[in-house]
Amino acid sequence: MTSKIIIMAEKLKDAEDRLLGAMFQAESIADNGFSKRVVTRIRRRLWLRRLALPIAMFLGGSIAIKPISQLSVAVSKLLTVIPMELLETPVAWMPQLQYVVLGAMLLVASMLGIRMLED
Amino acid sequence: MEGEDHYLVALAVGSQDTAAFGELIRRYQSQVRNFLRKLAGDVNMADDLAQDCFLHAWNKLQTFSGRGSFIGWLLKVAYTTFLQSKRKSKRYAEVLDEAGYVAQTESRSYTQTSNEISDLDKFLAVLTEEERAIMIMSYACGLSHREIGEATGMPVGTIKSVIFRGKEKIRTRFDIKDHHHG
Repeated sequence: MTSKIIIMAEKLKDAEDRLLGAMFQAESIADNGFSKRVVTRIRRRLWLRRLALPIAMFLGGSIAIKPISQLSVAVSKLLTVIPMELLETPVAWMPQLQYVVLGAMLLVASMLGIRMLED
Repeated sequence: MEGEDHYLVALAVGSQDTAAFGELIRRYQSQVRNFLRKLAGDVNMADDLAQDCFLHAWNKLQTFSGRGSFIGWLLKVAYTTFLQSKRKSKRYAEVLDEAGYVAQTESRSYTQTSNEISDLDKFLAVLTEEERAIMIMSYACGLSHREIGEATGMPVGTIKSVIFRGKEKIRTRFDIKDHHHG
């Protein structure tokens, strides 16, 4: 008797589930260019990502090339100077160092900017 | 079908093959958009979310382990995208509120924009967001309890009780048998 009631309850539950399933069923949505739009966005992002690093390196490098060359000259001089001059060198290459730091900051900022644009 | 999906995923991850991923989008866009339309209650918003969902899926594709079905994993991404967007719009509403505006535009509560409200919309309106998501995954998308558990990060027992609770709510408020499909 109890098992019959359980089976009846199960059947009832199944019927309800089937009814709910039928109600939740929705018609298939036509693509209408949806997948193409998403793939285009993905491809654009891929290209931006591929271009971001070389562009940022080029920009950063072109800004930093002058101070770097000046710094390398200063360093090469530093190797040949006497200890007395060694005290003067920090004053001599401090301005170039600022340019290098500025260049590095611009490099990081441009990379972040491109990433933000990408998002 | 599942094997084919896994092959396409491997192609997309291994060689950044957007065409393979495009094929996966074509296969599952209908299910994902249907899920989000029912969950959000707004067709345009749901389609925007579906686009974001596929973009997120592309970025996270390497995390798909291949153990479950691809649609299960995809619906997990869709649900996360929906929750993130809801959180964002809530923050936006708070900022507007603080600034003295009445935030009306981006309210992502369950509101049917169309004049026609189907029986299903009435059913969904009485459910909480969590119940709605789980019921849609179960009845509209045909996911198993295990798959829903993976998608929502909940144990199977909790999924079963949420479905039971959802059905109880619907049963107490409506006579299911009297309603037409919608």
